[in-house]
Amino acid sequence: MRASFISRRSSSIAGVALFAAAGLVAAAAPAVADPAQFVIVNINAAGVGFNDPTPAAPVGGNTGTTLGEQRLIAFSHAAAIWSARLDSAVPIRIRAQFTPLATNVLGSAGPIQVFRDFTGAPLTGTWYHVALANKLAGVDLSPGSDDINANFSSTFNFYLGLDGNHGALNDLVAVLLHEFAHGLGFSQFASLTSGNYLSGFPDVYNTNLLDTTVGLHWSQMTSAQRLASATNWGRVVWDGSGVTATVPDVLTLGSPNVEVNSPASIAGVYQFGTASFGPSIGNPNVFASVVAAVDIVEGGVAGATTTDGCSPFANASAVAGQIALIERGGCGFAVKARNASAAGAAAVIIYNQLANAAAAPPGMAGDGINDAFVTAPTVSVNRAAGLAMAGASGVTADIGVDLSIRAGADALNRARVYAPFPVVGGSSISHYDTVASRNLLMEPAINPDLTHNVKAPFDMTWELLHDIGWTFPDADGDTFPDDEDCNANSDVRPTIIIDGIDTGVPNRGLGSGCTMADTIVSIKAASGNHGSFVSAIAHLTNQWKDAGLIAGSQKGAIQSAAAKWH
Amino acid sequence: MTRQRVLAAIAAFAMAIAVAAPVAAAAAAPKKFKATRAIVVDKQTGALRMPTTEEVDAVVATISALGQRPDEGLVQTTQPSGAVGLDLAGGFGGVLLARPSEDGTWETLCVFTLEEGAAFLGLVEEVQ
Repeated sequence: MRASFISRRSSSIAGVALFAAAGLVAAAAPAVADPAQFVIVNINAAGVGFNDPTPAAPVGGNTGTTLGEQRLIAFSHAAAIWSARLDSAVPIRIRAQFTPLATNVLGSAGPIQVFRDFTGAPLTGTWYHVALANKLAGVDLSPGSDDINANFSSTFNFYLGLDGNHGALNDLVAVLLHEFAHGLGFSQFASLTSGNYLSGFPDVYNTNLLDTTVGLHWSQMTSAQRLASATNWGRVVWDGSGVTATVPDVLTLGSPNVEVNSPASIAGVYQFGTASFGPSIGNPNVFASVVAAVDIVEGGVAGATTTDGCSPFANASAVAGQIALIERGGCGFAVKARNASAAGAAAVIIYNQLANAAAAPPGMAGDGINDAFVTAPTVSVNRAAGLAMAGASGVTADIGVDLSIRAGADALNRARVYAPFPVVGGSSISHYDTVASRNLLMEPAINPDLTHNVKAPFDMTWELLHDIGWTFPDADGDTFPDDEDCNANSDVRPTIIIDGIDTGVPNRGLGSGCTMADTIVSIKAASGNHGSFVSAIAHLTNQWKDAGLIAGSQKGAIQSAAAKWH
Repeated sequence: MTRQRVLAAIAAFAMAIAVAAPVAAAAAAPKKFKATRAIVVDKQTGALRMPTTEEVDAVVATISALGQRPDEGLVQTTQPSGAVGLDLAGGFGGVLLARPSEDGTWETLCVFTLEEGAAFLGLVEEVQ
């Protein structure tokens, strides 16, 4: 990790910590991009939050000796991870505090301002989160103001280690990486109740949000279209090139799917919830007719119906081998699925009842009693979907895993954005879809198996930020990110210069971030004596010549200069 | 009082309001919620329990304050360069919530609105 602690103001009330890599800029390198400097602005009062003096034992690489110090170190660690991945000439200021928030509230973070139509803005009439706007403008558009507001709970028991070994606790570093990403640009501002833009203008996140049903980006839609798109489950994708290119490296093949194939009037992919009991979806894949289950009305049970599946089915022979369609309510999910399994159903669809008509398909918990008797994969759908299936004839459906599609992407490898029905406030659209596998940092939930890596092949958060305008630190300007560059400070001079002797040979890149000149310097450092160095250079230049990288005369020029380097 | 001092006083007042946002929101929160599931780990017993009325009110007020998304009243400023800034008034942030499971683990969810947070925590609006 190149980021380092640089300074901290002595005031206990408003300490400021700076985190950034040391400036290592190659003198004549073009397009140099330094790591963003993150400034943690501690606004806690003395004795609380970041300044809490309660003694704490070191944990998971966090060497702080007080609770407050450990919190600051965890914050700084998360900031350093982003610092290593983003470049900006303008420091990113995070106004941070730990306060006693209400029970169950872990914290909050977001941008303090947005900007549009600044010098350097790639798109006019488009909002950018202030930290990104500053980066693109190359100047602080709001001097003296902070960029991200972060407020976390001082009463919640976070895991403060830096190693990700959080056990049953919530990993503060992962939480911070997620919330900082929202503040850096991973969120959109259009209203999800009206569809209207923020103060009349789209944001840069909107420009990469594609609704595949209508074929329009959110920045091209009417308010009504955006409103409809916000709940177009499975059909809103991120089509930025950075994310799309890395989807195959991150998401696994095999997308769980509930799709009605016929009749055409209701055909399509449906949002679904999963069950904690019974076989998982795709085990096995089921393609069959959808048959509404009919059971007896349970005596003495208020609200009991013939569609709730709470009793053995009267039409078991019709259900056998098919997909049983059951209405929610009257008994537990596992009871319904058990009755369907007893009837020989190949799969089960449970749809919301009237009382949950506006609710999303639920996640279905078992009861510990009936679970073991469920032999059919079971999913839930919303009421509208269930009624559509119940009201149509000749319904056939697929419930399974599509092995040609990656979990969390569409068939064209565009990452799916979270767009459930019903809409769930700002969480819709401002996260990746929960069907993603592997789990992603920017799903709505902070899943326990997240790493602290924000980039492919582990994650796609950085790639999305890249799509909206963030770029990576590149000290030598060779287009290789510093943390993937075999030499972050390459000799990028146009010709190979050996100990002051200009060979005149073009100094090519070798495809890993290193140049020919870098390689010669590396060999010099590794050589025990001058003879072995000269010999190694002879061998190297022969290889380069054989590979067509240099001509015979150029090989001689390099060897001649190397021979003079003592 | 000079113009600068007036502005400084206004700024200080605004900052005080911002710091006290959860409290202010609690006083102004028009909606009343009740709990339908155990979401609190009792400090004495370690067992899950239903939240008290006060705890429900506090969590509703906090989510309301942190997750506000005002459609109106946001202040735009235009700079000489033509850049236009918009102060988000402390809103538009993600709010991370947690609910405990019987096995001692926690489920988390990043929400942006009270409605979504309430649904996650099993809080339902009371009919007045």
